[in-house]
Amino acid sequence: MVFSSLCPLFLLWTVRGSDLFPDVYFVAACLALAILPSAVMFWRVSIVKRNKDRRLIVVGTTDDQKSHILSYLFAILLPFYRTEMNDHREFIAMCVALAFIVFLFWWLNLHYINVIFALFRYHVYTVYPPVDGNPYAVHGAFVLISHRRSLNQGDEVMAYRLSNTVYWELR
Amino acid sequence: MNLIFEFDEFDDIIVTEFGVGNKIGNRVECVGIPVDIGVKKVLFEMAHGTWNEMWSAGNHPVEYDPGEKYGSTDYVFVPADGEMDDIVRGIHDANVLRIDSGALNKPEEISFYFARFIDSKRQHLTAVRRASRFKGVLKSSIMSFVNDSLKIVEDQVFRLDNDFDLLVDSEATHILRPSAFEFICQLRQRILGAVSANVRSIRQYLSFVDFGVVQKYASIHPRAARYLASINKQNLAGIDRRELVKSCRDTGVKITLIGDIVTVSEKHVMGFLEVLDRRRYEVNLVPDSPERFRAGSRRRIT
Repeated sequence: MVFSSLCPLFLLWTVRGSDLFPDVYFVAACLALAILPSAVMFWRVSIVKRNKDRRLIVVGTTDDQKSHILSYLFAILLPFYRTEMNDHREFIAMCVALAFIVFLFWWLNLHYINVIFALFRYHVYTVYPPVDGNPYAVHGAFVLISHRRSLNQGDEVMAYRLSNTVYWELR
Repeated sequence: MNLIFEFDEFDDIIVTEFGVGNKIGNRVECVGIPVDIGVKKVLFEMAHGTWNEMWSAGNHPVEYDPGEKYGSTDYVFVPADGEMDDIVRGIHDANVLRIDSGALNKPEEISFYFARFIDSKRQHLTAVRRASRFKGVLKSSIMSFVNDSLKIVEDQVFRLDNDFDLLVDSEATHILRPSAFEFICQLRQRILGAVSANVRSIRQYLSFVDFGVVQKYASIHPRAARYLASINKQNLAGIDRRELVKSCRDTGVKITLIGDIVTVSEKHVMGFLEVLDRRRYEVNLVPDSPERFRAGSRRRIT
C-alpha cells in the first residue's frame, strides 16, 4: 500500500523521463512501480472479499485525514518530482531519500494517503473505538476508507480488513 | 430457551471471525486470527451443530449452579447480567479484536479458541471451545491420499473439534459442557477468591451462625467454596435456627451451640454446607430406620 500511494510520483517521472537512463528502461521501471503495487493492493481486496474478511466496527471518535493529502502533496510529491537526476550520485541520493519516505509511511501507518482512493471518491478517516474498558478490544486508532461523507459516534460500519490497521468499506 | 441468532445459511452470515485465548498467569489474552472461507464454513457448521445438540437435549436448561455436579455434557445457562461468564462475554462484546497471525506459533499456550458471528439481522453469537485436541501440532503422522498413493503430510496441522462448548448471545451464555465453561472462565480460582464475599452476604441472613471456621476451610477447599457460591444464590431469608440445628443433627452433622450461636468444627464443615445447600437429607420410608443421603446434583420441584 505504501508503494501504491507513491503511484502519482512514478507516473510523473514516467512522463518526465530521465537523461540518466534510456527511456525504454526508465519508463518501464516507473510504470511498473506505478501499476504493480496498486495491482497488488486490488488483489488483496479481491482476497478479502473472497474470504469475507469483514468486521462490524462501532465508531467512537474520528479524524478526517483530508489535510494529510496536502502534506503529502507539498512535502513529498512535489519535491521528489522536482529533484534532478542528472548523475548517478543524485539518483542514488534520491533513491535513499525515497526509501526513508517509504519506511516512514509504513512505520507511521500513513499508507492510506493514496490518490486512488480520492479518485474513486473515498474518504479516509482515522477512527478511535469507543472507550468501554473491554480488555479484549483494540483501543488504538485504525484507518477506515469509506465513501461516507461523515462518521458519527456510534455509527456501525461493515468494512473489509485490508490490514490490521486499515479497513475499507466497499460500496 | 431460544438462541438470539439465526442459523439459516452460511451465506447469510455477514461476519465470521476466529481467534484464540491464551492464559498468561491470571490474565486471559484473546487475539483474532485471519482464516479463509473454508475454515469459516467449518466454524459455522460447528456452531450450528452445537445448537442442535443443545436443542435436542430438551431446550429447557436450568441455570448453572457452581455447587452442582454435572455430566460431561449438560445443557445449562448463565444469564448475561451475571459475572461468572464475564471472560466470554468480554470476547463477545469486544468491538474490534487485536489481530495476531502468529498466535498459532505457540500452540502449547492456547487455552481455548472461539468464533464470532454476526447474522443478517446484526445479531451477534460467540462460540467457544476449550483447546484440547486443537492444541496439537499432532504428534502422530497424518497421511493424505495424493495421486492414488498415501503420503505423509508435512505441514503443521491444527484440528478443529466437532462442536463448541459454549454459545454466547445477547441474553445468556449457553453451556454444553460445564467443566469446559469452568476452565475457560477460570471459575475455580474465582470461586475461591469469592469466599469471603459470599460469607459476608450469607451472614446477613444467618447471623446466628459463626462462619469463621467455614470461611477458613472454604478458602482452600474448592468444593466448599462452590457450596458457598451455591448457597449464596439460594433463598436464605427466613431460615430458622431451630430447623437448621435439627436438620444438622438428623443428618449426622455435629454442631455446637454457644449460647444462640451455631458453630461447626472443620471436620463437619462440608456436611454443614451440604445442609445449607439442601443437598443432605434424611428419608424415613422404613419406620425407625432413617436413611441419610447426599445429593451430588439436585433440582427443586416446588
